Amino acid sequence: MANELTAGKTFGALVDIPRCIGCESCSVACKLYNGLEWEAERKYLTPEDRAVEPNKGLWPEDWTSITQYNPEKDGARTIRFVKNQCFHCDDPACVSACFSKAFQKMPEGPVIYDQSLCVGCRYCMLACPFDIIKYEWGKAIPGCRKCQMCAPRVAQGEAPACVSVCPTGALFYGEKDQVLAEAKRRIAENGYIDHVFGEREAGGTSWFYISDVPFAAMRFRTDVTTKPLPSYTKSYMAATPVVGIGWAAVLAGLYIYNNKGKDHLD
Amino acid sequence: MASKDGPTHKLSRRSFLKLVGGAGALGATLGMAGCGETAPSDRAAGAQGWMPSQYNVPAGWPVQVRGRVAIAPDNPSITRDSEKCILCGQCVEVCKNVQSVFDNYELPFKEEIICIHCGQCTHWCPSGAITEVDETDKVLRAIDDPDKFVVVQMAPSTRVGLGEEFGFPVGRNVERLQYAALYELGFDAVFDTNFSADLTIMEEGSELVRRVLGVNEHDGHENNTLPQFTSCCPGWVKFVEYYYPDLIEHLSSAKSPQQMTGPLYKTYYAEINGIDPRKIFSVSIMPCTAKKFEAARPEMNSASRLKGDPDISPDVDVVLTVRELARLIKRRGINFNDLTEVDCDKIMGEYTGAGAIFGATGGVMEAAVRSAYYLITGEQPPPGLWELTNVRGLDGVKEAAVNIPGAGEVKVCVVSGLANARAVMDRVRAGDRSYAFIEVMACPSGCQYGGGQPRSSSPPSDEVRTERTAALYQIDREAKLRNSHDNPAIIALYDNYLEEPGSELAEFLLHTSYTSRADKLTVKRIQEPTLI
Repeated sequence: MANELTAGKTFGALVDIPRCIGCESCSVACKLYNGLEWEAERKYLTPEDRAVEPNKGLWPEDWTSITQYNPEKDGARTIRFVKNQCFHCDDPACVSACFSKAFQKMPEGPVIYDQSLCVGCRYCMLACPFDIIKYEWGKAIPGCRKCQMCAPRVAQGEAPACVSVCPTGALFYGEKDQVLAEAKRRIAENGYIDHVFGEREAGGTSWFYISDVPFAAMRFRTDVTTKPLPSYTKSYMAATPVVGIGWAAVLAGLYIYNNKGKDHLD
Repeated sequence: MASKDGPTHKLSRRSFLKLVGGAGALGATLGMAGCGETAPSDRAAGAQGWMPSQYNVPAGWPVQVRGRVAIAPDNPSITRDSEKCILCGQCVEVCKNVQSVFDNYELPFKEEIICIHCGQCTHWCPSGAITEVDETDKVLRAIDDPDKFVVVQMAPSTRVGLGEEFGFPVGRNVERLQYAALYELGFDAVFDTNFSADLTIMEEGSELVRRVLGVNEHDGHENNTLPQFTSCCPGWVKFVEYYYPDLIEHLSSAKSPQQMTGPLYKTYYAEINGIDPRKIFSVSIMPCTAKKFEAARPEMNSASRLKGDPDISPDVDVVLTVRELARLIKRRGINFNDLTEVDCDKIMGEYTGAGAIFGATGGVMEAAVRSAYYLITGEQPPPGLWELTNVRGLDGVKEAAVNIPGAGEVKVCVVSGLANARAVMDRVRAGDRSYAFIEVMACPSGCQYGGGQPRSSSPPSDEVRTERTAALYQIDREAKLRNSHDNPAIIALYDNYLEEPGSELAEFLLHTSYTSRADKLTVKRIQEPTLI
């Protein structure tokens, strides 16, 4: 719950890809803070192994992951590490798709999930443009799992667990406009590619990425829309009550018309 | 619909109550389920775990030391079990502040994660998450293979560490029990790296003498650059290759003890005993994780190149740390404490006190000075050189001046810990030529607290360092011979095989060259010092 530090503010985080050394402090911190299990079959996957997984290493018990790519830069093979987690969209498709309100967007930024409200329909998974949400297929009472941006920490004015342990400053956290300004400052200072991934993608997100090599070389979804996803359906979904009530009125009118002057059989 | 007979279809009382009751129950259910509320942050999934910073108030946690070092999955020396990692930041602390490796580069990385393999992080890690890369299986497979002739050498400082794994007090010298354990494990021949250390002194000392006297009698490999740096420590060598590539010619071309005897097992020893060198599998027991990296360096296959036979495996096939040896002994169910003390194979196991003290910081220097005196003057060093106390002790940087007739006053410097080395190297880089010889060991206080020694305290303690160091000097004090050049096995090796230090064959088998790794990293931009 928001306190005086966070009330009325929106927060975001920056991933400075060239500054990441692949130590995976962030993913360990995520496991520690969220009490996520270490699964034997995934424990020894390397960042390179995860980079070729369809889900980039995100599983129900892995809410953030590091993937390693070897893009060419100036003609030489380099190593770059990318942190993967929920982008926490400004206008999230999962929240829009969830009719039971298990997914909600907090005013501070995190998109959170409350399993006690979930009916298990998995519309959220279809809706997510970044394929982040994972379903607990192996459980008797399954839920959807994804990064919560450490909502209780954010609400108290603390950085998410992953950001709080980054040893190199590759992760940066703060009020969203400050984070965006920092991203642009770093782009200018280091000669990165002039694109903050997440600033406009999916209508804007809470997690921003900056890089010195093209995002497409690191399996970023570069074809994603810049319109908020719910806006695609909003215009005609908004007509639902009108159509519903209108159609009922039409049917009622027909009934009255057809029964006009007739005696009740009763 | 009303009719003339009045309302015929009235909502009955029962139906009405049903409707209202049903709607109420639905509303109550939805309300209880939470529909329509804004979920507060504490309803979010997760967040029931624990973070190290929760030990303290947020501001009390060391903000400059956090997270952990990066370890490449293909690092030949160290590995980490992330499940045990508690993100305490101690590996960063030692890597950055003791060894000055972490954060001494600009990001992004170029093509590799920068690591010098010293393994000090394995000592500092309080939860045992960081360990050596375990290669005990490879050794067991070789021992169990009847076609393999498995030889093993054990480094100077391993004998004052191994006992700690079996309940002996810290620093107890278990040399002869260790030989026995190695035979018991099934090794076909057990050698002592102390012998190799004596050999290193002959080669490295001769090189130093040639540099000091300015004699450049050999082609290619020899140069007169002073100060000469020791090259026994593979962590230090890689550190120079990364951060001081312009000083590479200062490094002695002599290989480390491990890599000197590695090829000799597959040439000299094989010839004397009529063993097919292709069948020889060479293992070394080291107090060090960087030795695994050193053995895997592509140029370390001198025996194969000498014989022109690609089927001869690398000079050292597998390096085990002392911790792995202890694990091996336990896996094979050997009761270490009940073994009968034995001797090793003397042909490459005879050693002098000079070789024994290689395991302590300053030991290489002391041993080198003794033999350098002999090589320059042709006379035995005075007993004063047997107790060169200025270069002993746990200080990070020590210096001494030795008067050698014919060479005058020779100033030497002894460094351990790479952050300390940086200070000395920056002086050398700036043109300081006051020293003739500089010994550097990557690990603070030398090999006896190397990254592969038993974890007898966490974090490392000077108490353990002092005990182990004292045990090494005790071996030297009690040795019958205290100068490397007096070692009869070394004399025999030169008489029967290598001819003389620095001979063509010795150059080929016992010397090496180094590669600049300047293109692997961008050294951190630091502000120009205002005064030099």
